Amino acid sequence: MVFAHGFGCDQNMWRYITPAFEADYRIVLFDYVGSGGSDLRAYSDNRYGSLDGYAEDLLDVCQALDLREVVVVGHSVSSIIAMLAAIREPQRFSQLILVGPSPRYVDDPPGYRGGFVRSDIEGLLEMMDKNYMGWASFLAPNVMKNPDRPELSEELEQSFCSTDPRVARQFAKVTFLSDNREDLASVTTPSLILQCSDDMIAPLEVGDYMHQHLKGSTLRVMKATGHCPHMSHPEETIELMRDYLAACE
Amino acid sequence: MDAILNAVPCGFLSFAADGTIVRANARLAAMVEREQDSLVGLSIEKLLTTGARVFYQTHFFPLLRIAGAVEEIYLTLQTAGGREVPVLVNAERRERDGADVYDCVVFSVRQRGEFEDQLLKAKRAAEDAARTRDDFLAVVSHELRTPLNAILGWAQILRLDADPDTIEQGIDVIERNAKAQARLIEDLIDVSRIVSGKLRLEVQTVDPRTVIKETLDVIRFAAEAKSICIQTVLDPDAGPVSGDPNRLQQVLWNLLSNAVKFTPKGGFVRLRLQRVNSQIEILVTDSGQGIDPQLLPYVFERFRQGTDSHRHGGLGLGMAITKEIVQLHGGSIRAHSDGQGKGATFIVTLPVLPVHASGGSDASSDVHVEWDTPRDRLPRLEGIHVLLVDDAPDVRDVLNATFLRSGARVTTAASAAEAFDRLQELRPTVLVSDIEMPDEDGLSLMRRIRTLSAESGRATPAVALTANGRAMDRKRALSAGFQVHLTKPIDPDELVMVVANLCEQVAG
Repeated sequence: MVFAHGFGCDQNMWRYITPAFEADYRIVLFDYVGSGGSDLRAYSDNRYGSLDGYAEDLLDVCQALDLREVVVVGHSVSSIIAMLAAIREPQRFSQLILVGPSPRYVDDPPGYRGGFVRSDIEGLLEMMDKNYMGWASFLAPNVMKNPDRPELSEELEQSFCSTDPRVARQFAKVTFLSDNREDLASVTTPSLILQCSDDMIAPLEVGDYMHQHLKGSTLRVMKATGHCPHMSHPEETIELMRDYLAACE
Repeated sequence: MDAILNAVPCGFLSFAADGTIVRANARLAAMVEREQDSLVGLSIEKLLTTGARVFYQTHFFPLLRIAGAVEEIYLTLQTAGGREVPVLVNAERRERDGADVYDCVVFSVRQRGEFEDQLLKAKRAAEDAARTRDDFLAVVSHELRTPLNAILGWAQILRLDADPDTIEQGIDVIERNAKAQARLIEDLIDVSRIVSGKLRLEVQTVDPRTVIKETLDVIRFAAEAKSICIQTVLDPDAGPVSGDPNRLQQVLWNLLSNAVKFTPKGGFVRLRLQRVNSQIEILVTDSGQGIDPQLLPYVFERFRQGTDSHRHGGLGLGMAITKEIVQLHGGSIRAHSDGQGKGATFIVTLPVLPVHASGGSDASSDVHVEWDTPRDRLPRLEGIHVLLVDDAPDVRDVLNATFLRSGARVTTAASAAEAFDRLQELRPTVLVSDIEMPDEDGLSLMRRIRTLSAESGRATPAVALTANGRAMDRKRALSAGFQVHLTKPIDPDELVMVVANLCEQVAG
C-alpha cells in the first residue's frame, strides 16, 4: 500500500492511518521531490511543471521497490497523480483510494463547478509567499528556541522548513491550475472516492463528477468535514478503506 | 476565565478537529465584526478568505495536527462585511473533556502586513533588477568581443600579408572597430557615472545651432552610406542655452545615429530646432521601423532594450544616457511613435538662457577641436620640439609616430624624473605628459617644472593625457600647471591640433 501525500504536506500526514494496515500490507511512504525530506537537487522546473512529473515520482518509487498489486492511497492532488500513474502502468495497480479528489479546482462555466475562481488561487499564492518567507527567515530559529519540546521542533522542520518556497509556489500553481477531467475516462483501475461532506477544496458536486466519469469507482460521502479526513477523522477513514478493500477481495 | 480571555489584548479562539469553533473572545469577535455568541458552532473556515481557507486546509491544519503547535502563521480573516484583516496566528493542541481542541491567539498585523507587502515588492524588484543586469552583462561581453574579434583577426592577417591594399583595408577595419569599442566603453563609463551620481556638466553658453551643425558633420558620413537624406530646419531665434557643448553633442549624436540606424536605405531623417516660449525644442524624426507602443515607456531605461535591437548591435545605453544628460540640463526628452513601421520622433526640450544672464561660469581653457577634420587640413608642427612623457612604450611609440608625421621634432622620456632633466637640458617647445605614472606622476612633474627659473623652462606650455575624463581630473591637471587636458584614448589628429593651437597661443 503506497501512500501519496497532498500539496503542502509530506508523508507525516498519514501517521494516523498507516498503523491500521501494517499487519496486512507492506506500507510504503515517500515525499515528492521538493516536499518533506526529499533531495531538492533532484528538482527541475521542467519535470515538475505538470502533474506528470509527480506521477513519474510515484512510478519511480514503485519500480525501485518492484511493487506489484499496489493499492495507492492519494490525498487531494495525489489522487489525480495516482490516476495518471495508473493510466501509464495499469498492470502495476490493483486499487486506487482517492481522498478528496478534484480533476479541476477552477470553475469552467457553464458546465463545471470546481469551487474556485482564478483570483482565489492568487490569494493562496500570496498566503504562501507570506508564510514561506517566514519559514525561511525566522520561523525555523523560533522553533529551535523551544527547548522544552524538542520533538516538536524536529517534526516542524521536517514537514515544512525543508520545502523550498519557489518549489512550493510552483506545486501550488501546477495543482490548482491543472485540468485532468479528460484523463478520468482513461483510468481502468478500480477506485474508491472518499468525499467529505463539507469540503471547500473538493465540494460534493466535484465528488459526483469524479464518480460519474471514473469507470469502476465507488463513492463514499463521509461524515467528516474539511479536506483532510485522514487527519481530522482517521477512524472513519480507516473504516471506509477497510470496507472497500474487503469488498474487492 | 471568560473575563480574563475577554480582557487580553489579542484575539483568542478554540476550535475542534473538524474546524468547529467552541470558544472565542470579545476581541476576536470585534476583529471579524460578528457577535461573540454567534461564533460558537461556526466553522473556522467561515472566518477566512478563500486563499486563507485553502492555506488552512493544505498547510495550517495538517501541520497543527501533526506537530501539535504552529507559530506565526499568516492568514487573512474575513469580516462579516467582507473586509480582509491580515493576522498572525499561534495555535496549540490541548485535550479538553477527552477531545482535542486547538487554542489560537490571533494578532492583527495590518500595518506589519503593509510593511511586508512593500518588502516583498522590493525583493521582487531587486530580483528583477539583478536579472536585467545579468542579461545586460551578457550583452556587454558580446558587444565588446565583436569588435575585438575583428581587430585581432585583422592584426593576424596584416602580420602575414604585406600587400598595400590589404594593409590599408586592415587598418581601416581595425580603426573603425577600435573606435566602436571606445564608444561602448565611453557609454559604460557614463552609465557608471549616472548610477553613482557623478555625471557632471562643464557649463557655458551654447548656441544650439553650432552643436547641431557639428554633430551633423560627424553623422553625415553614416547617413550618406545608407542614402539617407538628413533635412534640417533651424530657427535662428532658438537659443542660446546654458549647457555643456560636448554633452549636448553627445545627445544629438545619440538621437541622430539612432535615427540613421533604424531608418532603412533611402529613407529620411528630419531635424528641427524651434523656439517654444522660453524653451527650445529639438525634434529628430525618422522614417524607420518605429517603436512598439508597449516598448515606448522603456525606451529611456537603463539595461533594457527593445527585443530586436540586438540585431542592430549596441548596448541600448545611448537613450538612458541621453535622458540623463538632458535632465541635468534642466530639460526633458520624450519619444513618440504611431507604431511599428511608422517612424519615430524624439523631442528634446531645453530652457533658453535669459539674454541678460552672464555667460558660462567656467573660464574655459578647452581648445575647440573638430573631431573629423580631414587629414590634409591638419596643421603642420614644423619647427616645434615636443617632449613626450609616458611610461607605456606602446603609447609613446604611437604618439611619437603621430608627431613625427606632422613634422615635429620629438624627444621621449619614460618617467617624470627623466622628463624633468630633459626639459631643462633641451628646452622643448611643448611638453606632452601622461598623468598616471609610477614613482612620480605627471601632476608632480608639472608642479616641479612650474617652480623652475624662466631660463630652465618654467613657462613651457603643457598638455596632460589621462585615462580619467572626470571634471575633477581635469581641474587637478589644470591647477598643477597644464594648459590642456586630454582624455585617453587619444585621437592623434586631435592631439596635433591641440599642440598646434597651444604653440600658436604662446607664440601670439
